[in-house]
Amino acid sequence: MSTREIFDSRIESGLLLLPTLVVSVVFLYYPTAMAVRTSFFDSSFGQADEFVGLENYAALVTDSAYHSSVLLSVLFAAVVVAGVMAVSLYLTFLIHEVDTGQGVYLISVIWPYALPPAVGALVFLFIAHPTLGVLTGPIEALGVDVDWFNDGPQAFVVVALAAIWKQIGYNVIFMIAAMNNVPDTLTETARLDGVSGLRRLVSVYVPIMTPTLFFLVVINTIYAFFSTFAFVDLLTSGGPSNATNILIFDLYQEGFSFFNFGVASAKSVVLFLVVGALMLVQFRVTDEYSYYGA
Amino acid sequence: MTTVTLRNLRKKFDDVVAVDGIDLDVEDGEFLVIVGPSGCGKSTTLRLLAGLESATDGRIEMDGRDVTAVEPKDRNVAMVFQNYALYPHMTGRRNITFGMKSSGDFGDEEIERRVAEAADTLDIADLLDRKPEAMSGGERQRVALGRAIVRDPDAFLMDEPLSNLDAKLRIEMRAELARLHSTLGTTTVYVTHDQTEAMTLGERVVVMNDGGIMQVDEPQRLYDFPANRFVAEFIGDPAMNMIPVDVEDGRAVHDAFEIPLPLADAGDPVAADRNGVGEESLDDGRRAVLGVRPEDFRLPDPRTDDGLPRIDATVNVREPLGDSLLLHCSIGDASCNVQAAPRTDVGAGETVSVTYDPARLHLFDAETGEAFYHSEAHVSEAERPVPASVE
Repeated sequence: MSTREIFDSRIESGLLLLPTLVVSVVFLYYPTAMAVRTSFFDSSFGQADEFVGLENYAALVTDSAYHSSVLLSVLFAAVVVAGVMAVSLYLTFLIHEVDTGQGVYLISVIWPYALPPAVGALVFLFIAHPTLGVLTGPIEALGVDVDWFNDGPQAFVVVALAAIWKQIGYNVIFMIAAMNNVPDTLTETARLDGVSGLRRLVSVYVPIMTPTLFFLVVINTIYAFFSTFAFVDLLTSGGPSNATNILIFDLYQEGFSFFNFGVASAKSVVLFLVVGALMLVQFRVTDEYSYYGA
Repeated sequence: MTTVTLRNLRKKFDDVVAVDGIDLDVEDGEFLVIVGPSGCGKSTTLRLLAGLESATDGRIEMDGRDVTAVEPKDRNVAMVFQNYALYPHMTGRRNITFGMKSSGDFGDEEIERRVAEAADTLDIADLLDRKPEAMSGGERQRVALGRAIVRDPDAFLMDEPLSNLDAKLRIEMRAELARLHSTLGTTTVYVTHDQTEAMTLGERVVVMNDGGIMQVDEPQRLYDFPANRFVAEFIGDPAMNMIPVDVEDGRAVHDAFEIPLPLADAGDPVAADRNGVGEESLDDGRRAVLGVRPEDFRLPDPRTDDGLPRIDATVNVREPLGDSLLLHCSIGDASCNVQAAPRTDVGAGETVSVTYDPARLHLFDAETGEAFYHSEAHVSEAERPVPASVE
């Protein structure tokens, strides 16, 4: 690499970097640092912060409700990530195999992604509301009693479905690009050899798409832990009886309903560490199985 | 063993006619090469044969069975692609066995036996455990060939399989393909844009242009008796010289020269037999294009008189090719290439006297480009001049 002198002065280059630096510091690094700091304090409205050391963390270690929230979040993320990947992959394959009208299918799959999460949650509420939902009637006709305002497992399923539904579009965009990058001659060879469609997907496309799929696993994990807040908030508010009280919603309540900023900060630090640890494991595992083209 | 028959086969992509109603018979066990410039429809024809494209019109038959609407997998053909089309994440062995295992038509032992056999034939045993990224281009194409032969298909379809290889490897693989074909004897249709490949590999060669078949013939006959200007100029390197002339009194007349056109006695059975073209019509005043290959021009030995006319040519550029010397010349207002002996002492700007082989003249209709006269059919062996040695 040759170094090129693009800018005459350091000031000029510094000025160009400044907006990015300011935004990052003000909205990312400073809040992060403050959250870590606050987690060591007893902090609430109308009182001075009092340093308590690791007391907030100690409280979390002994809080069984919090433990179940951690487990619930991991389970929720696993369901959402697996669901999003499987459904998106299959839909992508179907769209890939279609000769005419690809654009129409693509748009109809992608549009939920274009909605803001809160709007998405409200739309889903109209789809699945226990009494008013568009799909409630047909599902009850199958013999299922739709009652997720009271039934914990049902609520979990509904929130997970909403989260999956919202994220499919994003995944399909990346997957269709990756699938279209698989050379046509591989598809043709498989067709000449009489390889069935599903086997072609699993044994030919998926291995070649692994770098993209790995990227999506990471993005979807982050999504499941952080960006599903709106669905919980608008559909179930964490209930019934904490059945959908995932970490991101739990810490929001701790901070902004109960105003325990110290504990809420400790919870967000833990969430950060949990997701960070998961990322690390994912990088380790998937790197081994990723095929980065020759 | 398989014959392939195409009848009035057409393929349209939106407004573009890629293949325009062709008829072709591929004989059992034949190595047939389809050659032509980019966009002539040769690859589309092959893909129609494979079933990867569906025909707009016409019929494809294999062994008399209509396969026009049959799925690719049920045609029992194997295809070899220019970019090898190996699955990048699979080892050589997996690449070869994947299709067989997926289709479920073969038992494990059978597959093992066939892979060993193919590996032996192609000498690829040491490539079986490597992934394509660890193979060279030639090795990849060998594995791709292995994948094609293990299934023992009725026909091989090859789409420019050597075009991604470097020149030296291409020549090696060419010989390899010829050897493979003589070992297996499987009907093969081979598409290429490279006329050398076409000439060296094909038992018969199909020349295509603009979606149509220009000529189907054995390589040497294609070279000696081109059916039209397109074939004449496409086959042969450097290309045949084309000089506009008028036919007058059995002579080809150009502003700068006049040469007699040998004509056998009417009803000469030998002439009728050897001529690749229908009835010749050397009518007076017919506008024509005279075709002479560069190597059929020669610089005569000034000491001998072979009785042939001399044509004055001005040398513009000299290109030493090692085994010969190519002179770019002007003859009157026509430009043409003359192939001379390698160390001939001729410089640019000089005017040289050129003569020609009277048995190797071709005339094409000025309008249609169809050949209507090949002098070879009219010259008996005895009349041919001994090629003059020019030292």
